[in-house]
Amino acid sequence: MARFKIESEIAGNVWKIEAKEGDHVDDEDVIMILESMKMEIPVLASESGKIVEIHVAEGDNVAENQLLVTLEN
Amino acid sequence: MSDGDTAYEGLIKEHEARKAHVLAMGGKEKLSKRKAASLLDARERIERLFDPGSFTETGMFVTSHLPSMRDKSPADGKVCGFGRIDGRNAAIVSCDLTVLGASSSPNNVKKMGHIRRVATKNGMPVIFLNETSGARIPDTMGAQGIGALGQDPTQFLRDRQSPYVSACLGPSFGTGTWYTMLSDFVVMRKGACLAVSSPRVTSLAIGEDVDPEELGGWRLHTEKTGLVDYAVDTDEEALDLIKTFLSYLPSHAGQRPPRTEAPDNSRIDPEIILEIVPPQRQKVYDVRKLIKAVADPDTVLELKPKFARVATTALARMNGQVVGFVASNPMFKAGALDPDGCDKITSFLVLCDSFNIPIIILCDTPGFLIGIEGERRKAPGKIMNFQTALQMCTVPKFSIVTRKSYGQAYLNMGGTRNSDEMGAWFTADVGFMDPVIGINVVYGVTQKNDPEKFSKLKAELDRETSAYDLAAINSTQAVIDPRETRDWLLRMLEIHSRDLEGGLSQRRLASWPTTF
Repeated sequence: MARFKIESEIAGNVWKIEAKEGDHVDDEDVIMILESMKMEIPVLASESGKIVEIHVAEGDNVAENQLLVTLEN
Repeated sequence: MSDGDTAYEGLIKEHEARKAHVLAMGGKEKLSKRKAASLLDARERIERLFDPGSFTETGMFVTSHLPSMRDKSPADGKVCGFGRIDGRNAAIVSCDLTVLGASSSPNNVKKMGHIRRVATKNGMPVIFLNETSGARIPDTMGAQGIGALGQDPTQFLRDRQSPYVSACLGPSFGTGTWYTMLSDFVVMRKGACLAVSSPRVTSLAIGEDVDPEELGGWRLHTEKTGLVDYAVDTDEEALDLIKTFLSYLPSHAGQRPPRTEAPDNSRIDPEIILEIVPPQRQKVYDVRKLIKAVADPDTVLELKPKFARVATTALARMNGQVVGFVASNPMFKAGALDPDGCDKITSFLVLCDSFNIPIIILCDTPGFLIGIEGERRKAPGKIMNFQTALQMCTVPKFSIVTRKSYGQAYLNMGGTRNSDEMGAWFTADVGFMDPVIGINVVYGVTQKNDPEKFSKLKAELDRETSAYDLAAINSTQAVIDPRETRDWLLRMLEIHSRDLEGGLSQRRLASWPTTF
């Protein structure tokens, strides 16, 4: 089992979280949506796996490179 | 039987025996270990890559220059020669890890030099199948060892007369890495390691353990450095990808890329574009879907797909003609171009300009990503590299603004005369910056602090940012219904044919660096 971190590519605000811990996601599935630069920017799974932990909640501000999700496969 | 026949018999036997010795490579034991690990050997890879029976070996009887090592160095660890891929000639260097770790030696470097010279002189791609431990030690130790190298002052000269392609199929250090860096397309087998020096040498040098994946694994190179285009699970997939890539390229810079038959246009539904691209500017979409909808079906080959995803670069076909797509991808960072995105586009422009591939730019970007991190990573320099490269490109360039195009990014993405022909979808919004931000900067008004004034100012600024405003000063030559995109591009490709120059670029970027 290997663990992978998904970090925010951009500073913004967590608008919607569309998956939950324990869910299986495929590569490029949408896990959450950030709001930044007046756009709704999806955070995608970097590869297939199980979501071990979601480190942020809706409404949180996030910085660039902040840890958002840990995946395991 | 005459004496002559007997003499020939002996010579034939010797010739056969010598060939068999070379074809046995590093011996049964090493070869069967590879087979057990599902790895192809150097010769099986060649067989898989080339048209059946088309391989002709060169330098087959080259060995180590050390007399004591002659019998232990069949082909001196690098199998070289020429073959055909889909009927077209190509040259190859296939590393044989079972022979002295396929390390580079004075004699096999001569073989590689011959391959490069023949390929350049006669116009054919060079393929490097890398699996090498680096320079051969102790042969290259000492002043005489290192001084024996470097006899060819053009060894690492890359002026892109013909395509170079590399696969990293195992450890790749030293020369294997250098040729990979000079290549136009790189594929890596997962588990391979691409680095300056091996993890062992690196570990000894810095005094701590080094993990090969961290030092030069596929994730590092496909996602962070962008030095590798694709990572695959097997040798076979890597070789097939090389063939696919080469199918888009001419054999040499003096040709147009090979054209295939136009597809059945009834398979292409322009209406789907309206489903892919939302008209609301705050909604994102994946530009890769748009490229697939515009290009001939099943012809899109994305390059560096996991690196700098804010930009998409892809080879594709339009009515059978090879084109290169450059696009900002709103799906990532809202399509705001960052320094890695600039590098990715610049290297793609170099490829297209070097090999006569027209460029199609699809622009939907809020601009260049601004911020301290970008400045630290030389964003201004990267932006100008990209812009200069575009202005130096002499292949036909077409630019389409789909939704947003602001500021300097408007120019970088082919705005006004930075392309040969510009089109804007009727959804385009063009200006110095997003009006919502502009109102705040100029008037200090935001939607929150003065909604009424904000709406009034926004309406004013919005009026002057449309595709029709741009068209009124002929800075875009066409305002396009998104569904007409493919037809408009097909017609523009016909019109901007460069027929006077035989469809060939001036190749002003051909001697640009191989990495940005």
